[in-house]
Amino acid sequence: MSVINYANRVIDFKIVYYGPGLAGKTANLQYIYRSLPNANRGNMISLATGDDRTIYFDFLPVSALTVRGFQTRFQLYTVPGQVQYNATRRLVLRGADGLVFVADSQFERLRENVESFRNLEANLHEYESTLDEIPYVLQYNKRDLPNQAPVTYLEFVLNRRGARVPYFEASAIEGKGVFDTLNTVSRMALASEFGVGRERRHEVS
Amino acid sequence: MKSRNTIIQQQDAARIHEILTHFLNDSGAVEALLIDRGGQLLARDGDAEALDAVSICALAAAAFSSTAAMAQLLGEPEFSVLFHEGAKRSLHVSTVDDESILLAIFDQRTTIGMVRLFAGEASRAVGAVLGEARARPKPPAEFAAPLKDTEARQAWTPPS
Repeated sequence: MSVINYANRVIDFKIVYYGPGLAGKTANLQYIYRSLPNANRGNMISLATGDDRTIYFDFLPVSALTVRGFQTRFQLYTVPGQVQYNATRRLVLRGADGLVFVADSQFERLRENVESFRNLEANLHEYESTLDEIPYVLQYNKRDLPNQAPVTYLEFVLNRRGARVPYFEASAIEGKGVFDTLNTVSRMALASEFGVGRERRHEVS
Repeated sequence: MKSRNTIIQQQDAARIHEILTHFLNDSGAVEALLIDRGGQLLARDGDAEALDAVSICALAAAAFSSTAAMAQLLGEPEFSVLFHEGAKRSLHVSTVDDESILLAIFDQRTTIGMVRLFAGEASRAVGAVLGEARARPKPPAEFAAPLKDTEARQAWTPPS
Protein backbone atom coordinates (compact mmCIF):
# COMPACT_ATOMS: atom_id res chain seq x y z
CA MET A 1 0.00 0.00 0.00
CA SER A 2 1.04 3.61 -0.19
CA VAL A 3 4.14 4.83 1.60
CA ILE A 4 4.07 8.35 3.03
CA ASN A 5 7.55 9.55 3.90
CA TYR A 6 7.92 12.75 5.89
CA ALA A 7 11.69 12.72 5.66
CA ASN A 8 11.75 13.41 1.93
CA ARG A 9 8.10 14.58 1.61
CA VAL A 10 7.13 11.90 -0.88
CA ILE A 11 4.06 9.66 -1.24
CA ASP A 12 4.56 6.47 -3.28
CA PHE A 13 1.69 4.56 -4.84
CA LYS A 14 1.55 1.25 -6.64
CA ILE A 15 -0.76 0.93 -9.62
CA VAL A 16 -1.23 -2.49 -11.24
CA TYR A 17 -2.47 -3.06 -14.78
CA TYR A 18 -4.41 -6.33 -14.82
CA GLY A 19 -6.18 -8.23 -17.58
CA PRO A 20 -6.02 -11.20 -19.93
CA GLY A 21 -3.00 -12.04 -22.05
CA LEU A 22 -2.42 -9.81 -25.07
CA ALA A 23 -4.99 -7.24 -23.92
CA GLY A 24 -2.42 -4.42 -24.11
CA LYS A 25 -1.18 -3.92 -20.55
CA THR A 26 2.45 -3.68 -21.62
CA ALA A 27 1.45 -1.42 -24.53
CA ASN A 28 -0.01 1.05 -22.01
CA LEU A 29 3.28 1.28 -20.10
CA GLN A 30 5.33 1.47 -23.27
CA TYR A 31 3.28 4.42 -24.50
CA ILE A 32 3.58 6.20 -21.15
CA TYR A 33 7.32 5.58 -21.16
CA ARG A 34 7.70 7.00 -24.68
CA SER A 35 5.52 10.01 -23.96
CA LEU A 36 6.81 11.33 -20.66
CA PRO A 37 9.97 13.42 -20.40
CA ASN A 38 12.91 11.82 -18.60
CA ALA A 39 12.38 14.09 -15.61
CA ASN A 40 8.97 12.53 -14.98
CA ARG A 41 9.80 8.88 -15.35
CA GLY A 42 12.44 6.31 -14.49
CA ASN A 43 13.64 3.29 -16.41
CA MET A 44 11.12 0.79 -17.71
CA ILE A 45 11.87 -2.81 -16.82
CA SER A 46 10.22 -5.66 -18.70
CA LEU A 47 10.62 -9.23 -17.53
CA ALA A 48 9.46 -10.93 -20.70
CA THR A 49 9.95 -14.17 -22.63
CA GLY A 50 11.89 -14.33 -25.89
CA ASP A 51 8.71 -13.57 -27.84
CA ASP A 52 7.98 -10.48 -25.72
CA ARG A 53 5.23 -11.99 -23.60
CA THR A 54 5.35 -10.77 -20.01
CA ILE A 55 6.61 -13.57 -17.77
CA TYR A 56 6.69 -11.70 -14.47
CA PHE A 57 5.92 -8.00 -14.80
CA ASP A 58 6.71 -4.69 -16.47
CA PHE A 59 7.63 -1.83 -14.19
CA LEU A 60 7.69 1.90 -14.80
CA PRO A 61 8.06 4.55 -12.05
CA VAL A 62 6.55 7.95 -12.86
CA SER A 63 6.41 11.12 -10.82
CA ALA A 64 3.46 13.47 -10.70
CA LEU A 65 2.02 16.44 -8.83
CA THR A 66 3.04 17.87 -5.52
CA VAL A 67 0.03 17.77 -3.18
CA ARG A 68 0.05 19.53 0.20
CA GLY A 69 3.82 19.65 0.13
CA PHE A 70 4.27 16.00 -0.84
CA GLN A 71 5.67 14.92 -4.18
CA THR A 72 3.52 12.07 -5.51
CA ARG A 73 5.09 9.14 -7.32
CA PHE A 74 3.37 6.21 -8.96
CA GLN A 75 4.95 2.87 -9.64
CA LEU A 76 3.20 1.21 -12.56
CA TYR A 77 3.23 -2.56 -12.87
CA THR A 78 1.66 -4.98 -15.30
CA VAL A 79 0.91 -8.59 -14.48
CA PRO A 80 1.53 -11.51 -16.85
CA GLY A 81 -1.85 -12.15 -18.47
CA GLN A 82 -1.35 -15.74 -19.48
CA VAL A 83 -3.43 -18.14 -17.38
CA GLN A 84 -0.49 -20.31 -16.28
CA TYR A 85 1.29 -17.43 -14.55
CA ASN A 86 -1.20 -16.94 -11.76
CA ALA A 87 1.35 -17.36 -8.97
CA THR A 88 3.41 -14.44 -10.25
CA ARG A 89 0.28 -12.43 -11.04
CA ARG A 90 -0.74 -12.71 -7.41
CA LEU A 91 2.71 -11.60 -6.21
CA VAL A 92 2.66 -8.47 -8.36
CA LEU A 93 -0.77 -7.56 -7.00
CA ARG A 94 0.55 -7.31 -3.47
CA GLY A 95 0.22 -3.83 -1.99
CA ALA A 96 -1.61 -2.30 -4.98
CA ASP A 97 -3.15 1.14 -4.31
CA GLY A 98 -5.00 1.30 -7.61
CA LEU A 99 -5.90 -1.05 -10.46
CA VAL A 100 -6.50 -0.75 -14.17
CA PHE A 101 -8.34 -3.68 -15.67
CA VAL A 102 -7.35 -3.74 -19.34
CA ALA A 103 -9.97 -5.63 -21.32
CA ASP A 104 -9.59 -6.75 -24.92
CA SER A 105 -12.60 -5.36 -26.81
CA GLN A 106 -12.68 -8.10 -29.44
CA PHE A 107 -15.78 -10.31 -29.34
CA GLU A 108 -13.77 -13.52 -29.28
CA ARG A 109 -11.88 -12.38 -26.16
CA LEU A 110 -14.94 -11.72 -23.97
CA ARG A 111 -14.61 -15.01 -22.11
CA GLU A 112 -10.93 -14.35 -21.32
CA ASN A 113 -11.84 -10.89 -20.01
CA VAL A 114 -14.44 -12.33 -17.66
CA GLU A 115 -12.11 -15.10 -16.47
CA SER A 116 -9.33 -12.61 -15.85
CA PHE A 117 -11.66 -10.32 -13.90
CA ARG A 118 -12.77 -13.23 -11.71
CA ASN A 119 -9.14 -14.18 -11.29
CA LEU A 120 -8.41 -10.64 -10.10
CA GLU A 121 -11.13 -10.87 -7.47
CA ALA A 122 -9.85 -14.29 -6.35
CA ASN A 123 -6.27 -13.06 -6.06
CA LEU A 124 -7.34 -10.00 -4.07
CA HIS A 125 -9.21 -12.36 -1.77
CA GLU A 126 -5.87 -14.09 -1.08
CA TYR A 127 -4.69 -10.77 0.36
CA GLU A 128 -7.93 -10.39 2.34
CA SER A 129 -8.91 -7.53 0.08
CA THR A 130 -11.68 -6.81 -2.42
CA LEU A 131 -12.43 -4.43 -5.26
CA ASP A 132 -14.55 -2.41 -2.81
CA GLU A 133 -11.35 -1.33 -1.05
CA ILE A 134 -9.05 -0.55 -3.96
CA PRO A 135 -9.77 2.19 -6.51
CA TYR A 136 -9.95 0.77 -10.01
CA VAL A 137 -10.95 1.68 -13.55
CA LEU A 138 -11.75 -0.31 -16.67
CA GLN A 139 -10.03 0.21 -19.98
CA TYR A 140 -11.65 -1.24 -23.10
CA ASN A 141 -8.63 -1.57 -25.30
CA LYS A 142 -8.15 -2.37 -28.97
CA ARG A 143 -10.98 -0.11 -30.11
CA ASP A 144 -9.05 0.24 -33.38
CA LEU A 145 -9.77 -3.37 -34.37
CA PRO A 146 -12.77 -4.25 -36.58
CA ASN A 147 -14.36 -7.06 -34.54
CA GLN A 148 -14.89 -5.08 -31.37
CA ALA A 149 -17.82 -5.60 -29.04
CA PRO A 150 -19.96 -2.48 -28.36
CA VAL A 151 -18.96 -0.59 -25.21
CA THR A 152 -22.47 -1.06 -23.79
CA TYR A 153 -21.98 -4.80 -24.04
CA LEU A 154 -18.54 -4.66 -22.38
CA GLU A 155 -20.03 -2.50 -19.66
CA PHE A 156 -22.82 -5.00 -19.13
CA VAL A 157 -20.31 -7.83 -18.81
CA LEU A 158 -17.50 -6.19 -16.82
CA ASN A 159 -18.80 -3.07 -15.08
CA ARG A 160 -21.66 -4.55 -13.12
CA ARG A 161 -20.55 -4.56 -9.52
CA GLY A 162 -22.49 -2.54 -6.91
CA ALA A 163 -20.72 0.71 -7.74
CA ARG A 164 -19.97 1.35 -11.41
CA VAL A 165 -16.43 2.55 -12.02
CA PRO A 166 -14.98 4.85 -14.68
CA TYR A 167 -14.21 3.22 -18.01
CA PHE A 168 -12.15 4.31 -20.98
CA GLU A 169 -12.09 3.33 -24.61
CA ALA A 170 -8.53 2.91 -25.73
CA SER A 171 -6.15 1.94 -28.44
CA ALA A 172 -3.04 1.64 -26.30
CA ILE A 173 -0.75 0.96 -29.21
CA GLU A 174 -1.69 4.38 -30.65
CA GLY A 175 -1.85 5.98 -27.20
CA LYS A 176 -5.58 6.68 -27.31
CA GLY A 177 -7.13 6.60 -23.85
CA VAL A 178 -3.84 5.72 -22.15
CA PHE A 179 -3.36 8.99 -20.25
CA ASP A 180 -7.08 9.37 -19.49
CA THR A 181 -6.88 5.98 -17.80
CA LEU A 182 -3.67 6.78 -15.92
CA ASN A 183 -4.79 10.22 -14.78
CA THR A 184 -8.08 8.88 -13.46
CA VAL A 185 -6.77 5.88 -11.56
CA SER A 186 -3.92 7.90 -10.05
CA ARG A 187 -6.34 10.63 -8.96
CA MET A 188 -8.59 7.99 -7.37
CA ALA A 189 -5.65 6.40 -5.54
CA LEU A 190 -4.48 9.81 -4.37
CA ALA A 191 -7.96 10.87 -3.20
CA SER A 192 -8.33 7.69 -1.17
CA GLU A 193 -5.42 8.86 1.02
CA PHE A 194 -7.25 11.97 2.14
CA GLY A 195 -10.30 12.70 4.28
CA VAL A 196 -13.16 10.22 4.25
CA GLY A 197 -11.42 7.85 1.87
CA ARG A 198 -8.49 7.53 4.22
CA GLU A 199 -10.69 7.04 7.29
CA ARG A 200 -12.60 4.31 5.50
CA ARG A 201 -9.37 2.58 4.56
CA HIS A 202 -8.27 2.66 8.17
CA GLU A 203 -11.52 1.13 9.32
CA VAL A 204 -11.29 -1.79 6.94
CA SER A 205 -7.61 -2.54 7.51
CA MET B 1 -2.24 -11.24 4.52
CA LYS B 2 -3.53 -7.72 4.16
CA SER B 3 -0.98 -5.00 3.41
CA ARG B 4 -1.06 -1.81 5.44
CA ASN B 5 -0.11 1.73 4.56
CA THR B 6 3.19 2.91 5.95
CA ILE B 7 3.64 6.43 7.26
CA ILE B 8 7.24 7.26 8.09
CA GLN B 9 7.42 10.34 10.27
CA GLN B 10 10.56 12.43 10.71
CA GLN B 11 11.48 10.71 13.97
CA ASP B 12 11.03 7.25 12.37
CA ALA B 13 13.24 8.25 9.45
CA ALA B 14 15.94 9.47 11.85
CA ARG B 15 15.90 6.24 13.86
CA ILE B 16 15.95 4.09 10.70
CA HIS B 17 18.83 6.15 9.33
CA GLU B 18 20.78 5.61 12.54
CA ILE B 19 20.19 1.84 12.44
CA LEU B 20 21.16 1.54 8.78
CA THR B 21 24.29 3.64 9.32
CA HIS B 22 25.36 1.33 12.15
CA PHE B 23 24.61 -1.67 9.98
CA LEU B 24 26.79 -0.35 7.15
CA ASN B 25 29.64 0.47 9.54
CA ASP B 26 29.47 -2.90 11.30
CA SER B 27 28.98 -5.10 8.24
CA GLY B 28 31.13 -3.24 5.72
CA ALA B 29 28.29 -3.24 3.17
CA VAL B 30 28.15 -0.22 0.82
CA GLU B 31 24.40 0.33 0.55
CA ALA B 32 21.32 -0.63 2.51
CA LEU B 33 17.77 -0.41 1.17
CA LEU B 34 14.73 -0.94 3.33
CA ILE B 35 11.94 -2.14 1.05
CA ASP B 36 8.22 -2.70 1.43
CA ARG B 37 7.30 -6.18 0.14
CA GLY B 38 5.10 -4.57 -2.46
CA GLY B 39 8.29 -3.10 -3.98
CA GLN B 40 8.33 0.43 -2.54
CA LEU B 41 11.47 2.00 -1.12
CA LEU B 42 11.06 2.89 2.56
CA ALA B 43 14.57 4.14 3.37
CA ARG B 44 18.11 3.93 2.07
CA ASP B 45 21.58 4.62 3.29
CA GLY B 46 25.04 4.23 1.83
CA ASP B 47 27.47 5.43 -0.81
CA ALA B 48 26.01 4.04 -4.04
CA GLU B 49 24.38 7.32 -5.11
CA ALA B 50 24.14 6.43 -8.79
CA LEU B 51 22.10 3.33 -8.03
CA ASP B 52 18.65 3.04 -9.64
CA ALA B 53 17.18 2.28 -6.23
CA VAL B 54 13.54 2.38 -7.36
CA SER B 55 14.09 -0.37 -9.94
CA ILE B 56 16.24 -2.43 -7.57
CA CYS B 57 13.45 -2.29 -4.98
CA ALA B 58 10.82 -3.51 -7.44
CA LEU B 59 13.02 -6.36 -8.63
CA ALA B 60 14.27 -7.37 -5.17
CA ALA B 61 10.77 -7.45 -3.72
CA ALA B 62 9.63 -9.58 -6.65
CA ALA B 63 12.59 -11.95 -6.33
CA PHE B 64 12.08 -12.28 -2.60
CA SER B 65 8.35 -12.92 -3.06
CA SER B 66 9.13 -15.58 -5.65
CA THR B 67 11.49 -17.40 -3.31
CA ALA B 68 8.89 -17.18 -0.54
CA ALA B 69 6.33 -18.78 -2.86
CA MET B 70 8.84 -21.52 -3.74
CA ALA B 71 9.51 -22.07 -0.04
CA GLN B 72 5.83 -22.62 0.56
CA LEU B 73 5.75 -25.22 -2.21
CA LEU B 74 8.46 -27.05 -0.23
CA GLY B 75 6.49 -26.75 3.00
CA GLU B 76 8.68 -23.97 4.41
CA PRO B 77 7.09 -20.74 5.69
CA GLU B 78 9.75 -18.67 3.94
CA PHE B 79 13.41 -18.66 2.92
CA SER B 80 14.59 -15.88 5.17
CA VAL B 81 17.63 -14.90 3.09
CA LEU B 82 18.26 -14.38 -0.62
CA PHE B 83 21.85 -14.03 -1.78
CA HIS B 84 23.24 -13.19 -5.24
CA GLU B 85 26.98 -13.25 -5.69
CA GLY B 86 28.55 -11.09 -8.39
CA ALA B 87 32.14 -10.65 -9.59
CA LYS B 88 32.41 -7.23 -7.93
CA ARG B 89 29.22 -6.66 -6.04
CA SER B 90 26.80 -8.97 -4.30
CA LEU B 91 23.28 -8.67 -2.91
CA HIS B 92 21.93 -9.94 0.37
CA VAL B 93 18.19 -9.69 0.99
CA SER B 94 16.65 -10.70 4.30
CA THR B 95 13.34 -10.57 6.11
CA VAL B 96 12.56 -7.63 8.39
CA ASP B 97 8.93 -8.47 9.11
CA ASP B 98 5.79 -9.61 7.26
CA GLU B 99 5.72 -6.39 5.25
CA SER B 100 9.31 -5.41 4.59
CA ILE B 101 12.77 -6.67 3.66
CA LEU B 102 16.32 -5.36 3.97
CA LEU B 103 18.63 -5.38 0.97
CA ALA B 104 22.38 -4.93 1.37
CA ILE B 105 24.85 -4.37 -1.46
CA PHE B 106 28.43 -5.27 -0.64
CA ASP B 107 31.76 -5.85 -2.35
CA GLN B 108 35.04 -7.68 -1.70
CA ARG B 109 35.86 -5.46 1.29
CA THR B 110 33.56 -7.61 3.45
CA THR B 111 32.02 -11.09 3.49
CA ILE B 112 28.59 -12.62 3.28
CA GLY B 113 29.03 -13.83 6.85
CA MET B 114 29.54 -10.32 8.18
CA VAL B 115 26.59 -8.96 6.23
CA ARG B 116 24.36 -11.77 7.35
CA LEU B 117 25.37 -11.39 10.97
CA PHE B 118 24.64 -7.68 11.20
CA ALA B 119 21.62 -7.74 8.88
CA GLY B 120 19.75 -9.85 11.42
CA GLU B 121 20.47 -7.35 14.15
CA ALA B 122 19.53 -4.36 11.99
CA SER B 123 16.35 -6.05 10.80
CA ARG B 124 15.08 -6.56 14.30
CA ALA B 125 15.76 -2.92 15.21
CA VAL B 126 14.20 -1.54 12.02
CA GLY B 127 11.25 -3.89 12.36
CA ALA B 128 10.52 -2.41 15.79
CA VAL B 129 10.51 1.15 14.37
CA LEU B 130 8.23 0.17 11.49
CA GLY B 131 5.93 -1.68 13.88
CA GLU B 132 5.51 1.48 15.94
CA ALA B 133 4.98 3.59 12.82
CA ARG B 134 2.26 1.29 11.50
CA ALA B 135 0.55 1.07 14.88
CA ARG B 136 -0.11 4.81 15.12
CA PRO B 137 -3.88 5.10 14.90
CA LYS B 138 -4.48 8.56 13.49
CA PRO B 139 -3.46 9.83 10.07
CA PRO B 140 -1.41 13.03 10.16
CA ALA B 141 -3.11 16.42 9.86
CA GLU B 142 -2.17 16.97 6.21
CA PHE B 143 -4.36 14.02 5.24
CA ALA B 144 -7.41 14.78 7.36
CA ALA B 145 -9.27 16.97 4.86
CA PRO B 146 -10.57 15.44 1.62
CA LEU B 147 -8.68 16.23 -1.55
CA LYS B 148 -10.09 19.22 -3.43
CA ASP B 149 -10.69 19.19 -7.17
CA THR B 150 -8.03 21.83 -7.63
CA GLU B 151 -5.50 19.63 -5.86
CA ALA B 152 -6.47 16.51 -7.77
CA ARG B 153 -6.07 17.96 -11.22
CA GLN B 154 -4.75 16.01 -14.18
CA ALA B 155 -1.24 14.79 -13.35
CA TRP B 156 0.07 14.14 -16.84
CA THR B 157 -0.76 15.72 -20.17
CA PRO B 158 -0.86 13.37 -23.14
CA PRO B 159 1.37 14.34 -26.06
CA SER B 160 -0.50 16.30 -28.71
